[in-house]
Amino acid sequence: MDSSLDISRLSREIVSQLAVIVRTSQLHDPRNIAVATSIEKFVSGANVLILEESSMEIEIVGEYFYLNGERVKFTMEHLLNFDFLQREFKKRALGSIKFMCEVSTADMQEFLTVFTSCQFSAEPFEDLTLKIEGLRCISVGRLRRISEQSDIDMRKTVKRTYFNAVSFTRGVMNKIKVGERISMKKAKRVVETMVDTLLDKEEFLLGMTVIKNYDEYTFHHSVNVSIISVALGQRLGLDRKSLMELGLVALFHDIGKTLIPNEILNKPTAFDEQDWKVMTRHPLSGVKLIFQMKSFDSASVRAAIVAYEHHIHPDGSGYPGVKPIAELDLFSRIVAIADQYDAMTSSRIYARTPMTPDKALALMVKRISSQLDPLLMKFFINLAGTYPVGTLVVLDTMELGIVFSANQSDNSRPKVKVITGPGGNRIESWVADLTEKNAAGGYLRSIRKTVDHNKYGINLAEYFL
Amino acid sequence: MLTLNTMSAEDILRPAQELIQVFQRARKSLRMYPANNPVYSRTIEDAFRRSDGFLLEYGDLELKFRQNDILLGDQVVYQSQDKEDNFAFFFFKDGVRELTFRRGLSSMELGEFLRAISFDFERHGEEEDIVTLLWERDFEHIKYVIDENFLLEDEVYENRAVAQAKGESNDEPELKRIYGEIMKEEDVSGQPEVAPVTKADLHALLKELERDSVSKLPKLTAMLFDFFQEADISEYVGTVDLIIDAFEYCIKTGDLRSAVGLLAKASDPPPVAQDVLLMKKELERLLEFASSPEIVGMLGEQLDSGELFETNIFEEYVRRLDKSAVPSFISILGELKTIEARKRIINALVFLGGKDIQALAKGLSDHRWYVVRNIIYIFRQIGDPGVIEFLVKAARHQDVRVRMEVLRALGEFEGQQGVLPALREALDDPEASIRMMAVRALGRMKSAPAKKIILSRINGKGFIDLDFNEKKEYFEVLANWPETETEEFLLRVLRTGSFFKKSKVAELRACAAYSLGLMGCRGALGHLEKLKNAKNRLLSDYSYRAIKRIEYGQQPGH
Ligand SMILES: [Fe+2]
Ligand SMILES: [Fe+2]
Repeated sequence: MDSSLDISRLSREIVSQLAVIVRTSQLHDPRNIAVATSIEKFVSGANVLILEESSMEIEIVGEYFYLNGERVKFTMEHLLNFDFLQREFKKRALGSIKFMCEVSTADMQEFLTVFTSCQFSAEPFEDLTLKIEGLRCISVGRLRRISEQSDIDMRKTVKRTYFNAVSFTRGVMNKIKVGERISMKKAKRVVETMVDTLLDKEEFLLGMTVIKNYDEYTFHHSVNVSIISVALGQRLGLDRKSLMELGLVALFHDIGKTLIPNEILNKPTAFDEQDWKVMTRHPLSGVKLIFQMKSFDSASVRAAIVAYEHHIHPDGSGYPGVKPIAELDLFSRIVAIADQYDAMTSSRIYARTPMTPDKALALMVKRISSQLDPLLMKFFINLAGTYPVGTLVVLDTMELGIVFSANQSDNSRPKVKVITGPGGNRIESWVADLTEKNAAGGYLRSIRKTVDHNKYGINLAEYFL
Repeated sequence: MLTLNTMSAEDILRPAQELIQVFQRARKSLRMYPANNPVYSRTIEDAFRRSDGFLLEYGDLELKFRQNDILLGDQVVYQSQDKEDNFAFFFFKDGVRELTFRRGLSSMELGEFLRAISFDFERHGEEEDIVTLLWERDFEHIKYVIDENFLLEDEVYENRAVAQAKGESNDEPELKRIYGEIMKEEDVSGQPEVAPVTKADLHALLKELERDSVSKLPKLTAMLFDFFQEADISEYVGTVDLIIDAFEYCIKTGDLRSAVGLLAKASDPPPVAQDVLLMKKELERLLEFASSPEIVGMLGEQLDSGELFETNIFEEYVRRLDKSAVPSFISILGELKTIEARKRIINALVFLGGKDIQALAKGLSDHRWYVVRNIIYIFRQIGDPGVIEFLVKAARHQDVRVRMEVLRALGEFEGQQGVLPALREALDDPEASIRMMAVRALGRMKSAPAKKIILSRINGKGFIDLDFNEKKEYFEVLANWPETETEEFLLRVLRTGSFFKKSKVAELRACAAYSLGLMGCRGALGHLEKLKNAKNRLLSDYSYRAIKRIEYGQQPGH
């Protein structure tokens, strides 16, 4: 047995190639010669794995593909294909395709014909199952919803990860304030856990960032910016090590604020000129503190750059007020997006009322080019979706809900935690998937409008914790 | 796959114990040998052979860790009470509780694993732990379980924070009232449109990531100088300290370009500071640091490890140093192992030493002959007459290789005071090669005093007894003065006859013939024709060749 066979690469290629042949089958007959070449490519790749592991199952769990139980790590070049294939699976309520023995090009041609034609059927999955019965080697499974129980367990883990990160950040900042050294070892471990959680349960950890705590704003904010940055970094296809570095530098982006007196930080009234002067020094103080707590290495250099640049805009505005920097660091631009988003939706500082997530996103869109990087914003908008997590919405069923997590397959149809009945009566909250349809093919629920939860004093934490 | 349940425990215990020992031993040798040593790669290969054999025969190896022992199932397969060298505790202390090696483990993965566990945490481990190293490697066939409590900062924080965040929930009537208001509110939706990511976006992203892979140091170094704009005078010291640290890091990582950038900025800082003079004064510390033995030593290490830097960058770096760097450079000169590295340092010293010859001359008392020789070479390249006094002193150096280099150098300082006496002294060197070099050096000078020295030597006592080749050398350089006086002298020698020391005299005459030939002296042809048939083989031979040379202007081939 050749153990050096690069299974993870092969898996990626198989899934990606499946996307290619599904797409071309929608345009051409699978028996068409051009399509057949693509199919052959898929078949030969798949058969290597089938021979090696005696069968092959491609499955969707959450937002990820799994191949024979192992998660398929996607790289940037496969991003579009994976996204596309996931939508195609979900359209058909398809959860998995299993190949029980070596597959032939003819088998795949037949499968693809059925796969393409069933998408318009009222019950696509049933239709697909029925029509591939003749194929000895291929079977399909229905899209499974992650069970409520495992959801609860995951939420527990995620909650723990989140609050531990906040508590760690709090400890770090307090130590720095009194000039104590901090453990970088632990900082790395905390961020590693966050990265792992994001890779696995992204929607849950992102959900935690909607929880705002005004008394401990800077600690929550640091963790939130770290989480959002890593989530964005993941969309950009950064590898684990880079994600960890990104998470680490994001966590410390506001470290310079530890030197700002609390009276200013938590000032309920508007800042005067002197306050601003103190406030706008935090990027510089950040650089100094970073090198005080950590010797020079690639991570500290990067952290210093991000601490310094995160309030400088691509058009040269912002602070600290120095001459325009040639080009802002990629991580600085990522952190700037995460920072603005979290600050706008949570901060009471600078005497501002927090914005709703969708309003914040809309405002950020207006700042594209002048303050925020257009390309990165595009990825960010895709991450946040039309209705970002934490948005209070009225559904067309007259129920009130809070956007709970984005749906990769449809940006405008997230999962929503329903918190009232159609008449406004308090109910045991539950999660509705807005992509769900009734028997006639119509959506069960749609968003009618968004509402400012702050204005009405609705506490999101109640529903996210 | 075989598991513990399907075979007796003893079957697997011993091989598992052995495998752990293999890993432990591998860790030791990877720590001991550099990665390019054959032992290093052989260690990994051997360990892989063992682990592969194990996994094929017994299936996955799932180990559990306690403070002082490692368990397989419920059997102890490793135990140690040692505080320092304890394989169990090594993993346990960072929170590892389970480690599983799965069948299919490749030699590359195992190699990475062994590299991770042999990481020198003592030396640069302040910020690393084994879990981070394993995590970064993201193994496919090595899985581990971590005790999350390890990370727990504050056990009650979560509960407190959750309670605080949840606060009081809206009660039923309140929620109803809110609901009513919300329903009345007008829809002011303005959601951004989510444009899907396109191929062009991915392409742009790829470019972005490529750009991102460049060094971050140039930016950092530029950034640090901006600090002076914002800084209070009291912060200048701290800022320069930071710049110095950054400089050290640049050198350590071989980013000489950024280091040069810092030096350039320091010598011409942006005039943004409150007190420019004070800033400049503080920044002088950077220059001192750049010239210090510590930094120059680091540069030497870099050079020796094969990092040669771009020539112009290295030169630019050296140009920015001052003469105080000379001793630092001299001290590494003797330590460098590679020729390329030494060349770089020598070139640096040619530049720097020119500014301070005295400092460079201190290197002449180095106990290593090759260092002294290098210094002489550097003197020669500097070409300043100021070096002569040191060359003259070094001409008596005990090592012949040094003296040889001195002669080479002296020969280039024609007409300078002190050169001729030194060369004349060298004519008496115990080493023949040195003596001959001195002769040649004198010859190249073509000056009357030089000729005088040569002639007086030839006429001097004991000259006749010198080895033929040495004598010949004198006569060869004599041809550099093609004057009547020389011709007459040579003809005189050619005609010399003697009963004593017959063969020695013949040697002298052959030398004269040789010299006349070199000069192309037609007036000597008659004598030479006679000597062509002389009984003495040497004399006849040289005469014949001289004739050919005079007639055809070249030496007949032989
Ligand atoms: Fe900030
Ligand atoms: Fe911030």
